[in-house]
This record gives sequence, C-alpha cells and structure tokens, in this order.
Amino acid sequence: MADLLSQLEALATGARAAIAAAPDEKGLEELRVRFLGKKGELSQVLRGMGQLPAGERPRVGEVANRVRDEVEGLLADGKRRLETKALEAELAGAPIDVTLAGRRLLPRGHRHPITRATEDISAIFARLGYEVASGPEIELDWFNFEALNLPPDHPARDMQDTFYVEESTLRAGVKPGSVLLRTHTSPVQVRSMKRLGKAPVRIICPGRVYRSDYDQTHSPMFHQVEGLCVDEGITFADLKGTLAAFARAYFGPGTRTRFRPSYFPFTEPSAEVDVSCTICGGTGRKDGKRCGTCKETGWLEVLGAGMVHPRVLENGGIDSKRHTGFAFGMGVERMAMLRYGIDDLRLYFENDLRFLSQF
Amino acid sequence: MRISLKWLSEYVALPSPEEVARKLTAVGLEVEAMERTGQGLRGVVAARVLSSEKHPNAEKLSVTRIDRGEGEPLQIVCGAKNYAVGDVVPLATIGTVLPGGAKIEKAKLRGVESFGMLCSARELGLSPDASGLLILPPEVKPGTPIAEALGLEDVLLEVNVTPNRPDCLSHLGIARELAAILGQPVRLPAPKLAEAGGPASDAVKVRIDAPDRCARYAARVVEGVKIGPSPAWLARRLEACGVRSISNVVDATNYVLLELGHPLHAFDLERVAGREIVVRTAHPGERLATLDGKVRTLAPDDLLVADRDRGSALAGVMGGGDSEIAAGTTRVLVESAWFEPSGIRRTSRRHGLKTEASYRFERGADPGMVIPAVDRCAALIAELAGGVVRPGIVDAHPRQNARPEVRLRWRRPAELLGMEVSREDARRILIGLGFEERASDADGATFRVPTWRVDVSIEEDLVEEIVRTLGYDSIPATLPANAVVMPAEPVEAQAISRIRAALEASGFSEAVNFSFVAARALEPFGRSVETGDGSGRALGIALKNPISNDLAVMRTTLVPSLLADLAHDRRQRIEDVRLYEIARTYGTGARPEEAPSAEALQVAGVVAGRRVPVGWAAPGDVVDFYDAKAAVAGVLEALGIDGARFEAPGASWLHPRTSAVVTRGGEVLGDVGELHPRVAQAFELPRGVLAFELRLDALLRAAELVPQYRPFPRLPAVLRDLAVVVDDAVTAASVEGLVREEPLVEAVTLFDVYRGAPLPAGKKNLALAITYRAADRTLTDEEADRVHARIVKRLAAVGAELRT
Repeated sequence: MADLLSQLEALATGARAAIAAAPDEKGLEELRVRFLGKKGELSQVLRGMGQLPAGERPRVGEVANRVRDEVEGLLADGKRRLETKALEAELAGAPIDVTLAGRRLLPRGHRHPITRATEDISAIFARLGYEVASGPEIELDWFNFEALNLPPDHPARDMQDTFYVEESTLRAGVKPGSVLLRTHTSPVQVRSMKRLGKAPVRIICPGRVYRSDYDQTHSPMFHQVEGLCVDEGITFADLKGTLAAFARAYFGPGTRTRFRPSYFPFTEPSAEVDVSCTICGGTGRKDGKRCGTCKETGWLEVLGAGMVHPRVLENGGIDSKRHTGFAFGMGVERMAMLRYGIDDLRLYFENDLRFLSQF
Repeated sequence: MRISLKWLSEYVALPSPEEVARKLTAVGLEVEAMERTGQGLRGVVAARVLSSEKHPNAEKLSVTRIDRGEGEPLQIVCGAKNYAVGDVVPLATIGTVLPGGAKIEKAKLRGVESFGMLCSARELGLSPDASGLLILPPEVKPGTPIAEALGLEDVLLEVNVTPNRPDCLSHLGIARELAAILGQPVRLPAPKLAEAGGPASDAVKVRIDAPDRCARYAARVVEGVKIGPSPAWLARRLEACGVRSISNVVDATNYVLLELGHPLHAFDLERVAGREIVVRTAHPGERLATLDGKVRTLAPDDLLVADRDRGSALAGVMGGGDSEIAAGTTRVLVESAWFEPSGIRRTSRRHGLKTEASYRFERGADPGMVIPAVDRCAALIAELAGGVVRPGIVDAHPRQNARPEVRLRWRRPAELLGMEVSREDARRILIGLGFEERASDADGATFRVPTWRVDVSIEEDLVEEIVRTLGYDSIPATLPANAVVMPAEPVEAQAISRIRAALEASGFSEAVNFSFVAARALEPFGRSVETGDGSGRALGIALKNPISNDLAVMRTTLVPSLLADLAHDRRQRIEDVRLYEIARTYGTGARPEEAPSAEALQVAGVVAGRRVPVGWAAPGDVVDFYDAKAAVAGVLEALGIDGARFEAPGASWLHPRTSAVVTRGGEVLGDVGELHPRVAQAFELPRGVLAFELRLDALLRAAELVPQYRPFPRLPAVLRDLAVVVDDAVTAASVEGLVREEPLVEAVTLFDVYRGAPLPAGKKNLALAITYRAADRTLTDEEADRVHARIVKRLAAVGAELRT
C-alpha cells in the first residue's frame, strides 16, 4: 500500500512541475493524456490496486481521487493561464492601420442644392399651413399673363422674355402665340384658386420656369417658389409677418427683412423684399473689407410680393369684395446661392459630380 | 432712366445725392447705381495759349507757351493744329492720370522738353472727337479745373422705372415724386415763347384719320432756323443721359423728352408735301424709309404720320428719312401728340424698333403734357437755332383722354394694409401727388387722377400711393389670424422624397437638367408626340424662339440629358458616375385649348464605371445590368411595390440582350438596362453604360406607401439547399416560380449561378436555398423531404437535372 501511495504522491509531484512548465495548450493536452488518460500514469498506478487487501483499497482510492482532482485543477488553471498570456500578447501587438478608408460598398449619393433649397423652403411654409400645388410648365398665355393682369401689348410683358411654343408641334386647336413656357410660377395662383373654387387658399408652388435669356447671370431655365394666401381679412401686415418669419426660419433667427415699393401687374400694392445680408450680417463690411455679396448695402433682394390684385382674384373665381390675399415669389437658385455660398449660376445645370457631391 | 442731379435740381431743391437715392428707392423708384462724373479729370485745368511755334526737329509738332493761371508759363509740345494763339484749351498737368489710363510726365519730344499735355475731347473721355484740341469758351479763366469749367461735375442716378410709371421717365417726373416726398413745390419750366409772323395754321394743316389711335396731334412751326451743333451744356446733358447729340433742332426735341418725358418729333416743313399732316394707318403694302436707313414694309395696323402724298414717320416710334431735319432745313414743324399705347407697342414689336419715344408712348404718355411740351420745344429751338415761332398751335384733338375718378373708402387702407391710415394722411399724400379731391363724405372721398398717372384706376392703386409714401416700414408684421388647416403631404411628394432617398442610398447623385434639348438628342429614343389632328407626329414640343438648336425641343425622356451629364463628367476624368433626375417630360395634350401639354414626371438614372469606387477593399469590377436593376429594385421597395416583373428586352434605346422592361400587373413601369451600342456611340460614350427610366404615375398606381402588417409564423422552419443544372435560357424567375408553387415553401433565394466545367456549354447550375414552413404546426424533416422531392420532380419536368 505504501508503495502505491508513494507512487501517487510522485505522480502528483511530477504533474505539478510538468503542468507549470507547459508552453501551450497542446502541451497541456499531452500532459492530460499522460497523467489522466486511459493508459495514463494514474490508470497505471490504480491497476496495482487489485493486489491490495480489500480493507486498504478505500484509503488508496481516496488518495487517487484527490490526486486526480488536483491534476485536473492544475490543468484547468494552466489553461486559463495560457489563455490570459495569449490574450495579453495579442492585445500588446501592433495596431492595424486605422487610417485605411472605411469599407463602404456604395458611397451615398447627393441631393441637388436646388432640391435641397426647395425642400427647406417648402418645409417652412408647410409649418405655416401651406399646401404644395403645381401647374403645367407649358402654359397658356391666359394663365401666364392675361389672368395676371397682363393683357396683350402690355409693356410689363417686356419684364419677362418669353419662350413661345411652335403650334405645329401641338395638337390642333390652339390660337397662334397662345402657348408658351411659363415665365414664372404665378399662373399657379389662378389655377389653384380656380381648382379650389373658394377661400381660404394657402398654397406654395415650387417649379421650373423659363425665360429666353442666357448669360453669366441668367439661365433660360430656373426655379421659383410661388406662395399665395387668400382669405377674408388678409392684410399686407400678414404678408410682412409671414415673410419675416420665413426669412428667419430660412436664413437664421437674426435675419431682418425690408419691404420696398415695386411693381408687379398682379399685385397691388407690390413690394420687393430684401433680407439683411447673410454674409456680412447686414453691416456691408466683411473682415474689414467691402462685402461683395450685398455690394456693401447690407441688404439682399430675394423676394417679390404684394397684395393680390382684385382682377386676379376675380380671374381665379374669388370674390374680391369679400376676400383679400397676398402672394410672393422667390428664385430658388438665389436662395440656394445665399445658403451654400455658390457663386456661379451655371454650376447648377452642369451636373459636375465635383459640385453635386458637396451637398 | 439716367437722371442728372444737376439737371434735376432745376426743378426741386435736392438734399444730398445719397438722400435722394434713398428716398426714391423708398417710394418704388429703385436707384440701381450712382455715378459721380468729372472726378477723373483732376489735374486737368483750363490754360491759355500764349504762343505757338514750329518744332525745330519735327514737321507735325508745335512748341507752345501756356498760361495755366499761376506761376511761369509752361512749355508744351503739341501735335494739334486747330487752335489759335489766345485760345483757352485743357491742359493735363504733370502727374495727371487721364481717363484712358495715360499718366502725364515730363517728356522730351524730339529734343524739346514738354511739361504737360494739351488735350482733345477724346483724351479727356468727353466725346469721340479727336480731331484737335478741345477749345473752351474764351471767358474761362486759366487755372480753372476743367470739370468746373465744363460743368462736368455731376451725380448721375440710374433709376429703375417700373413699366407702370412712364410718368417718371423724365427729370420733371422724378422731380414731382421727390417734391411730393419732401413736401416741396416743383418748379416747372416756363418757356418764353416769342411768337411772330402769320399764324401757324396758315403754314400747315393737321388731320387725324385714325382718332382711336391718336387722341391729339399738336404742331408748332418755327421758321428761319439755322441748323448747327448744340451748345456744349446741352450736348453734355443729353450725353449724360445716354442720348447722342445730333443737331440743335433734333437735340431740342430730345432735351424736352428727357426733361418733360413727352416724345416729340421735328419735321422739315419744306418736305411735308401739301403742307399737310395726316395721321392715318398704313395702306396695304405701303413702304417707309425710317431714320435708321431701313425701308420697311408696313402693316395696315401701323400708324403713320403722313403728308399729303406719303408717310413721313412711323407714329410715335421713329421718323422717316425723307422729312428728316437736314443741314439745310430752315422751317421746322414740331410734333407733340398722344398715341394710343398698345398700337405703338404692336408697331414697335412688329418692326423690332424700340426707341425712347416708343418706350414712353407704349407705357402711356401724359395727355396733359402735349401742349406744354410743344411750347417748350418750340421755344428751345428758337433759342438754340434762331428763327421765330409762328403764333398758335395747330391742334387736332378729336378725343379727350378720360381722367378717371377713383373712390377711396376711408376704411379700405386698413383692410388691405392691416394698419390704420388717417383721413388726413390719405388726403395729404394723394393731393401731394397731384390727385384732386372731387367729393367726400363720411365713408370716403373721390379723387381725380392726375393726367400723368396712367397707372391709377382702382381703389387699391390709391392705397398703394398712400402706403408707398408712408413707407412700408410703417406697416406692422403679423401672421394671418385664421386657423391653419394642416394640409396632408400629397402622395406624389411623399413618393418622390422616398425615391430620392432610395436612389441616394444606391449611390446616385441628383442632376438637374434643362427641360429642352437638341432634336437630335431625342432621335435615338424612338418616342414622339402626337400633333395636329392626332395623325401627325413630332419628336417633341418645339420652341418657336429657342436660345439655340441645342435647347429647342421639350424632352420626351430624361435619359439624353443624363447621358450628356455623364459625358461631361467623363471629360472631367470622373469615371464612376451614378446620376439620377426626377423631372417632367412633355407630350401633347388631347385638349390643347385647355391643356396644350401632357406633362409626366419621370425618374431616370445612369450608371457607369466601377461598381465600387477604387479602394483597397474594393474589387474593382465594373457595373452591369444588375447594378442598374438593383437601383430600380431599391425604388420599387421604397414605394412598397411588390410583384414587379423584369422581362427582356427593354425599350429600343437599350441593348436587346441586357435590358428589361419593368411591369407590374400588366402596366409598364419603365425600362432598365445597358445602353444600346448605337445610342452610346451617338452620345460619345463607351459601351457598358447602364440607364433606367421609370414613370412616376405608374409607380404611384402600384405604390403602397403605408406598409400593411402581415402576421408571420413563429413555428420552426426547415432549411434545404437545392442545386439544379438547367439550360442557359431558363430564367431564374421561372425556376423560383416553380419552387414557390409548393405551398409549404416560405422563401427561396438563388445564391449561386455557375457556368463552365464540368458543365457542358449552354448549361448553368443554379443553387437555391429554400425555407419550408407550415403556419399551423412544426414541420417534420420527413414532411420537408417529401415536398423537396416534389420540387425536384417538378423541376425535372422542365429539363432541370438535380446536381448531387
């Protein structure tokens, strides 16, 4: 018995040293097989138990179990130790190149600044209860001019160089010279009033408009947003408040507005609306120099507006004795220019990705 | 309209130029520019020529001694010959920079020193005259700055006069506005007419045959004039306002035009046949040689000022060459008339003739100015060109211009403006602007509109007069009081913003292109619009007056514009391009008198270059059909469109082998695919460009913008893979369709397509992952196996071999 016990003791001593010296998990596994495997050292020792008297067996069995437990524990500790060592070694290694570009399969596309500006403008007026309306771009003279108090031979027609449509490329039945590309979004005023048939009318209409003028500062196609508010008791003060609120929302809370008398055949009274310069804050000076954006005036002309002419209300089927209304219009290209600092109109329609991808 | 403040100050006392500009802008006469003249001539002074001798070494030069009002006389070498000793001429002293940029320095000319330069009018930037030195009036003292001597120091305002205010197209008109704002009187010019000889009516007769087109024609006769140049002060005033000086008589008419705003015309009375003026419309085919040297064939709608025999002037637009004031003219007929505006405009447009006269007449001249203008002009001619004015005016006046009376209800300003305006203010302002109060009561008053205010006819016009004078700043800012009805976002707008988001997520950037393109850009697309009675076709709706042939036809597809953008980007060495556009295309309307066009929104895109931009982690392969299809699928998904089908081939502008038409429920949504090689060639693009175009209206009909929840089974599924070998022509959709016919199939994903060895040519292997699930029980493996076997059999029936 003493022999067996000493063999077990020797096994335990050997295992302790071997496990402590094991270099890796593979070595640990070999040691597990060597000490605890079916043909391992412990099994060998226990095979000698058969010769022992029955009374001594429990004592040897007890020691053998203790040795097995100890070796198993040592193996588990050794595994943990090696794992920790490996992890520490991994964590201490050289970092990857984090400056390599992120792996993005498809870079995001970009929305055109004209669309962005149109969406921003529309969203502001949506909050004020304006509904988006639309109308045709190939328009009848009546809606584009006559219904807006611009009869044929009216000199104010010179304010807008008009593209006319070749009648032979239309279906038969149009009067010569009666079809054109709309020169402004204002025909949608009359169309909307006729469509709704009654007040209140509160619409905005963003869209493409056309004038036959093409140079550095004029594009034959550009974009406007038209607004119209008709109801009982609508006043010029409401127009001022609405556009002042819009300007603050679009250009920033400190923006001031200025109304100057002007002339549009379809509004009476009419106004040009200026906002305080978004670049110099209305001071006319930027970094000690003349502000080129507002040409040192401190103001930027951005809107045309006025009280809807009674004749236009009547043409829209609205009783001008009971109702009043205001209308306004703005150029989207200009609004986008001021917001994004774009300095050349032609960039908008060139669709160069180096431009588009900045938005 | 250019306004000289110096000139203006003759009619009203002016505050500072800045204040004038501010005030005019504040009442609606926007001052767009302010220019100070005579500033560029510092250093140029008047100087007297004391002596002049031939240059010893140069044939064409002289050596002069000059008195410049101070110090010793200066020696100056001069090349001009037009002066005499004793003349006063401009001297540019050393250090002066002339308007042309030349700096005057001490110089040695052919060995003789010169201490300055004597100048011509051109060298001073005053006129194109370079024929010799500018000779100043002899009374100018040497040493006087030239700007002062010539009265050049002035401030010119460029005033933007809106088309409704023809009354402000003159110095008097602007003065009237300023006087009203400043609360000052206007000093009207009072012509001193010295009439002599027989009455004018003995010299000429006037008859108006078209009284609807000419309400009044007044003529004066000035005899014994001598045509010559205008005095410098007058020529300079005209030139300051952009009018060329011609001769004293013609200049007098232009001067009065700029002063009073009324267009006038002067005829050589000797050349008025029959000494008779007839205002009539043109005879059919009648021709007239106008002052610009053109012979014009007139329309019967053109109004003529004629003599007994033929036309003498295109009334209110331009004079005729035959009756023009010429060097030998001695008898002048001065015309002052009132022509009906729209007729003048028609003639002006018909003949492409826009003149100072037509510009004013078509906007509406002041009928009250006909007589004062003719008086002023006749007096001025007599003053400038000598001669005497015959007594009286030959005045044909068949029609009185109506002078509207407009009622203002006292409450109306507040209703329209949201601001109370007192009766006193309303009255004061209107009367200050020349309105006359005719009657008043507790509710309001009636005002007679001044003759020059052709733009005022309704109550709102009076309110505008009041508010622009008070200033728009005095109006408060409020928001409409009525409750806001919250409008729902229209379905179309919702759909568009989802489409944008989907395409941008697929890497597409938005392009915005002109709506008009070149006809040839549309040709490859095989579309057209119905014209005439519906039997005719055109490539697209065309413009009568396009900017150029490249911008002439309204597009029927967005694709050509995007292809041009792509070509542009490629020229800029940008090769990986994904662009989209959402815009209208234009067809013809079936009821053209109400809706001449049928405009439909399209969603189009182009794709070219690498699938993923160059990068360390990018495979670098180029895009193909499936990239474009993925973009389309992304749009369909964003709109909740289920069950769209892709069937080859797509539209004729696409490659027949690599394109598809997209349909749903039998309706065509659009096309997608590789550009047809010939189309690519036409747009100078390489092969392999992908494009798509979808019709928004069709997409909207198929869209389900608000997703509807469908319950999903939570019982476990059985997954099985299946690989089959089929003919190349067998489509993925047909195999997937057969698999789906089994009701227990919940999903099928084709995860691999393989061609090549060991498969024979013309065959491909399709690998499918199939999910089986029963809604009401846990599916057993055995049950799944049975279904799977049925699928294999079904596929075998169409020639698919199971691959093991």
